[in-house]
Amino acid sequence: MAEYKLLLEHADDPAYRTLAGYQAKGGYQALRKAVGMDRQAVIDEVKKSGLRGRGGAGFPTWIKWNGIEKEKTAPHYILCNADEGEPGTFKDKQIMETVPFLMVEGMTIAGWATQGDHGYVYIRAEFCDAAKAVRQAIDEAYAAGLLGKDILGTGWDFDLDIHLGAGSYECGEESALMSSLMGERGMPRLKFPHAPLPTVAGLWDRPTVINNVETYACAPFIVERGGDWYATLGASTKNSRGTKIFSVSGHLNRPGNYEIEFGTTLGELIDLAGGVKGGALKACVPGGSSVQILRGDGLRDAVIGYEEMWEAGSMVGSGGCMVLNEHTCIVSFIWRTAQFYAMESCGKCTPCREGTKWMLQIMERIVRGNGQPGDMDLLMEITKQIDGRSFCGLGDAAAWPVAAALKVFPEEFEYFIKHGRSMIDTPQARALAPRWAQTVGV
Amino acid sequence: MSELIQIGAARPKAPQPQDLTLRWSERAVEELEALKGHYPDLKSLILPALWISQREYGGHLPPEGIAEVAARLQRTYAEIEGVATFYSMYNTAHAPGRHMIEVCTCLSCHMCGAYRLADILEEKLGVKMGETTEDGVFTLHEVECLDACDRAPVIQVGPDYLDPQATLQDEGGEAKMRAWVDRLIDDLRSRPEPSSVRLADTVVQVHVRATER
Repeated sequence: MAEYKLLLEHADDPAYRTLAGYQAKGGYQALRKAVGMDRQAVIDEVKKSGLRGRGGAGFPTWIKWNGIEKEKTAPHYILCNADEGEPGTFKDKQIMETVPFLMVEGMTIAGWATQGDHGYVYIRAEFCDAAKAVRQAIDEAYAAGLLGKDILGTGWDFDLDIHLGAGSYECGEESALMSSLMGERGMPRLKFPHAPLPTVAGLWDRPTVINNVETYACAPFIVERGGDWYATLGASTKNSRGTKIFSVSGHLNRPGNYEIEFGTTLGELIDLAGGVKGGALKACVPGGSSVQILRGDGLRDAVIGYEEMWEAGSMVGSGGCMVLNEHTCIVSFIWRTAQFYAMESCGKCTPCREGTKWMLQIMERIVRGNGQPGDMDLLMEITKQIDGRSFCGLGDAAAWPVAAALKVFPEEFEYFIKHGRSMIDTPQARALAPRWAQTVGV
Repeated sequence: MSELIQIGAARPKAPQPQDLTLRWSERAVEELEALKGHYPDLKSLILPALWISQREYGGHLPPEGIAEVAARLQRTYAEIEGVATFYSMYNTAHAPGRHMIEVCTCLSCHMCGAYRLADILEEKLGVKMGETTEDGVFTLHEVECLDACDRAPVIQVGPDYLDPQATLQDEGGEAKMRAWVDRLIDDLRSRPEPSSVRLADTVVQVHVRATER
């Protein structure tokens, strides 16, 4: 299957980043249609569409929207998670930079459907260009009466503001993101069933809808063309509907964002990105650093869909597809993954704070050539101690890639521990290693 | 253990309230006032206020910069310091050089040769990661994923993402990286404005609505 450009159809058109250009291409028709509809009817369209959260977890979006109290007793907040931090993922960045109005309109539609009062876009502070594009979009929407007081003559007021983070992967976790927006350290909070859902008590303990950038950007199409139409996209899969933007990076001829219909295979996605560069396909991490690595043989036929990917041994995640060629040392790749999670663990709970550092120390001694017999078992044991025992999903996400690599590429770990150097003994592989690891055993 | 992970780094002492002089410019105070309308409480202003303070104090957050945020938001110094030290983009540990070059060495960049690019930068500037050149112009820093993996290996200088448009898998990739680093350093040397001030200013400006300017 080829690309299916829904969200990114006009991504190359600079005029689409202005309100005039956006409206010329049919922009804001969806909001006009939505405000003429019953609020519940909008949520029902989203339900029919089968839209699932694009941030990584794949939670049905309509359940979040429907969970907001119908008899309003307090201000309702609409929150957009634009704290894209997952290694390998850069789709939200492109949405905000090239089609920011889709997200702004989508958030406004969510606001209408849930009687929202105030929306916030929480963007990571590194994304200055994206934030500036969103700023311009919001300012234009305010000037045109599409945000602010009495939107489109409905008497409904909705404000939208931008809030930037300050450098923390953990803030992409929804409860940590809310902590951060409320002026705290970006640490996660107790979650359902131990605490109410964000839809009941989110920002400032008020009902809050929180979705990913891409999820909101889908909403205008669902409202305008109907949930039934949207559900025809990806109909070949079990329960994944619509399109998904995959950020494809690594050893590829044309790395970038590619929007595909669910049901496309990983092989087709890799071909879209120009195929593997510098050698044969060795492995692929299909959904961002948190998901399980897949072996090259057989992965080309793996179908992209939430359930299908799970059956293939990995996950769709946030869509950060990293492709590795034959000159990649998996041990080095996993060492770097472990360093990322050790760096970004917020320190709140012991399994994650200590476990990620332990994993890094063991991985580092292996990469330095000092691996001990039994290190693989020890690593596997630590992943089991973290997985499912940490306060939020970051711990699980740190454990999964390590556990998966130990299962999928055990021979590389065994070789590195036994011989004190990488099994991938090619000049290309050595060139990638950090200097302190490079000279080992050579 | 990676140099990136510092445990229990010593913190400088907080200034005594009587020793504190408020240094924010009039413009900064106006920006803070405008942002107050965005949130239902003052506490939520801590992150944007720290950005304002980082700009006003020349691109880093000395104890006075933290104390000024505490004073203006009526919070304690300990709380603000606790928040500021959690986030990696507030320069609370030390003042960076005029240009902070942040090299992403995370997964995709690592796979495309970020450690070679880091070596080239270290050689060119004669400092290691985390250090500042003697003339105070450049600070090198290793950072986690910047989420621009299609441009790998990528670096950040202030609000800008830059990349050599070459990977180690390309023909002559390392030579292209070297040539690019030479051009980059020359270009940055000619820019007088500190990049961390430019970054903080961009972040602050993005918060402010057009109607509030």
